Amino acid sequence: MANDHLSKQFDNELEALRSQVLQMGGLVESQVRGAIQAFSNGNLSLADQIVATEVRVNAFEVQIDTDCSHIIVRRQPAATDLRLIMAVTKVVTDLERIGDEAHKVARMARQIHEHGVVDVQHFANIRHTGDAAVNMLRQALDAFARLDVEDAGRIITEDRVIDFEFKSVIRQLITYMMEDPRTISTSLDIIWIAKAIERIGDHSKNICEQVIYIVMGTDIRHTKLEMGADGKMFPKA
Amino acid sequence: MNGLVLRTMAMLLAAALGAIATGLLLADHWGWALFCTTLIALLAYHLRHLALLNRWVSGASTDPIPESSGVWDEVFAGLYRRHRLEVRQRRRFARLLARSQQAGRALPYGVTILGPDMQIVWCNDSAEAHFSISRESDIGQPITNLVRQPEFAGYIKSANYAEPLEIATARPDELILSIQMVPYVDSHHLLLSRDVTQAYKLGIMRRDFVANVSHELRTPLTVLIGFLETVRDLKLDASRSRDYLNLMAEQGHRMQSIIEDLLTLSTLESALQPPGDERIDMAALLAQVRNEAESLSAGRHSLSVEVEPGVDLTGNTGEITSAFSNLANNAVRYTPPGGSIRIQWRAAGDGAEYCVTDSGIGIAAEHLPRLTERFYRVDRSRSRETGGTGLGLAIAKHALARHQATLAIESEAGKGSCFTVRFPRSRVLAVQPRSVALN
Ligand SMILES: Nc1ncnc2c1ncn2[C@@H]1O[C@H](COP(=O)(O)OP(=O)(O)O)[C@@H](O)[C@H]1O
Ligand SMILES: [Mg+2]
Repeated sequence: MANDHLSKQFDNELEALRSQVLQMGGLVESQVRGAIQAFSNGNLSLADQIVATEVRVNAFEVQIDTDCSHIIVRRQPAATDLRLIMAVTKVVTDLERIGDEAHKVARMARQIHEHGVVDVQHFANIRHTGDAAVNMLRQALDAFARLDVEDAGRIITEDRVIDFEFKSVIRQLITYMMEDPRTISTSLDIIWIAKAIERIGDHSKNICEQVIYIVMGTDIRHTKLEMGADGKMFPKA
Repeated sequence: MNGLVLRTMAMLLAAALGAIATGLLLADHWGWALFCTTLIALLAYHLRHLALLNRWVSGASTDPIPESSGVWDEVFAGLYRRHRLEVRQRRRFARLLARSQQAGRALPYGVTILGPDMQIVWCNDSAEAHFSISRESDIGQPITNLVRQPEFAGYIKSANYAEPLEIATARPDELILSIQMVPYVDSHHLLLSRDVTQAYKLGIMRRDFVANVSHELRTPLTVLIGFLETVRDLKLDASRSRDYLNLMAEQGHRMQSIIEDLLTLSTLESALQPPGDERIDMAALLAQVRNEAESLSAGRHSLSVEVEPGVDLTGNTGEITSAFSNLANNAVRYTPPGGSIRIQWRAAGDGAEYCVTDSGIGIAAEHLPRLTERFYRVDRSRSRETGGTGLGLAIAKHALARHQATLAIESEAGKGSCFTVRFPRSRVLAVQPRSVALN
C-alpha cells in the first residue's frame, strides 16, 4: 500500500518533469517563430522580445536539470524511468541551444533591417526554410509529448530537406555577393541566419532521437535510419 | 399472497389428501411413499426453475428470459415485462447520449473537457482541428503539453478566466483562436475555442486602410500647402507663379482622382447584388476602352484590339467599363514606349473572356497575390508618376466579382503581363444571328 502510494507520487513527478520540458519547448518555439518573423518583416520590437525570453528559457534549463538530479538521487529510478530522465536532460540542452540560435537570428535580423542594403523580399527561400524548421521543432515536441516513435522517425528524415534548402540558400547568396559587392556584409549576416536555421533543424532531430531512445531503449544517434516496407523507420545496423 | 406460494400450498394439500386416501385404501407405507414421491417431484420442479433463474441473473443482461412452465410462468412473465421495459429505456438513453455527443461534436465552437489536472478528457471535432489534438490518442495528456504557446500556459496558470484569450495556433496555416475556460462539474473545465481568423484579418485590413487613405491624401496635400505658402510669402514673377499654380493643380487632381476611386469602391461595396441584367453592347464598350487607352498611350505603343462580334454580356455597363479600362490603362502605364499591347474579347469555353496582354515591365511572383489589395503597388514612385492611385485593380476585382467573373494574372518580371477575365455562361448572352447585323 505504502509502496503503491510512493510509486504514484513518483509517476506524478515524472509527469511534471515532462510538462516542464514541454513548457520550455513552447517558449523556445515562440522564440524561433518570432525570430523568423522579425527577419521577414523587420519587426524589431519582436526581436527585442526574443532576447528577453532568453532569460526565462535559461531559468527553465537550470530548474529542470536540478529536478532531474533530485529525482535520480532520491528515487534511484530503474531502467525505463532512468532513460526518461536521461533523455530529458539531453532534450533540455537541445532546447536551450535552439533558443540561442533563435536569439542569433533575431540579432542578425535587426542588423540587416537597420542596414537596409538588401531587400529581404529576395530571400523568400530563407523564410521557407525557417518555416520548415519551426514546423519540425513543433512536431518534434508533439512526438515527445505523445512518445510517438513513428512520428519521431518520420521527422528525422525531414531534416534532410532543411539541409538541402540550406545549401541552395548559400548558392544563391554567393551569386548575389559576386554580382554586387556592396551586399557582402549583409549577405554574410544572412548566411549566419541560414546556418542558425539549419542548426535548429539538427537540434529538433536530436529531440526526436531521444523520443526513440525513451520508448525503444535504443540509442540511434550516429546511425542511419531506413524506411521499412511498411513505411516505418528503423535504424540500420 | 402470491400465486406461486398459494398454488404450491394447494398442491401440497392435494398430495397430502391423496396420500391419506391411499393409506386408508391400501396400506400406510403406500400412502407415505406416494406423499414423498410427490414432494420430491415438486421440489425438483422448483429447483429446476430456481436454477434457470439463477443462470439468467448471473448471465449477460441481454440474455432472453428462459422458458418456463406451470406456476413459475407468472413469475417469469413478470420478469420478462420488466426486462423488456429496461431494455427499451436503456436504448433510449443510449440514443439520447449519442445524440447529445453528436451535437457536441458538430458544434462550430471547439469544446474540450479538461480534468482536474488540465488533462484532456474529451473534445469535439472543431477542437481537434483547432489544437491539432486527437480524441482517440490524446486522452489523458495535459493540454499544455500539446498547446504550448506561453500565453496559453500563462492563461491556464492565472486561473482568471473572466476574459477570453486570443492566441495564434502553431500550425503552418496559422489560425487566430479566441479561447475561454469555463468551470464545469467536479473541478473539470470546459475549454471553448472559436476561430476568429477572419475577423482578426478584417480588423487589420481596416486599420491598414485608414492609415493608407490618410497617407495617400497627405502626400499631395503637403506639396499643395508648400506651394501655397511659397506663393503667399514670396513675391514671384508671373511665369514662376504660373508654374507653381500648375503644379498645385496637378496635386489637386491627384487628390481628386484618389477620392473618386474611393467613392467608386464604396459605391461598389454598398451596391445591391445583383448588378442588374441590362444588355451590355460589348462592341461599343470596347471601342471606348480602346479610345481611352490610345489617348493615354499617345502613340507610344502599338495597340491591337480584337473583338469577336455578337458576344454580349448582361450586367452593369459602367462597372464593366471601369474594370476593363483599368486593365487596359495599366497595360499602357506599365509598358515602356515602343512596347505592344493586345486586347482581346472572345467567347471561350462555356462563357466569355477578356484578355489584356502587354510586353511591359511585368510583375515578380511574390507581388501577385497582393496586387488587388487597396493601395498595393509594386513600385510606388512609378505608379504615382503615371497618375495611378493604387485602387484600379481593387475596383476591377470588385466590379468583376459582382458579375461572377474571375481575374487571373500571369506575369514575369521584365517580360510582360497577361490579365485574363473570365465570365461564366450565365452572364453571356446568346450570339445574335449575323443576318440581323448585316441588314
Ligand atoms: N500590366 C501591368 N504590368 C505591370 N505591373 C502592373 C500591371 N498592372 C498592374 N500592375 C502593378 O499593380 C499595381 C496595382 O495596380 P492598380 O491597382 O491599377 O494601381 P495603380 O493605380 O498603381 O495602377 C500597380 O502599381 C503596378 O505595380
Ligand atoms: Mg492602375
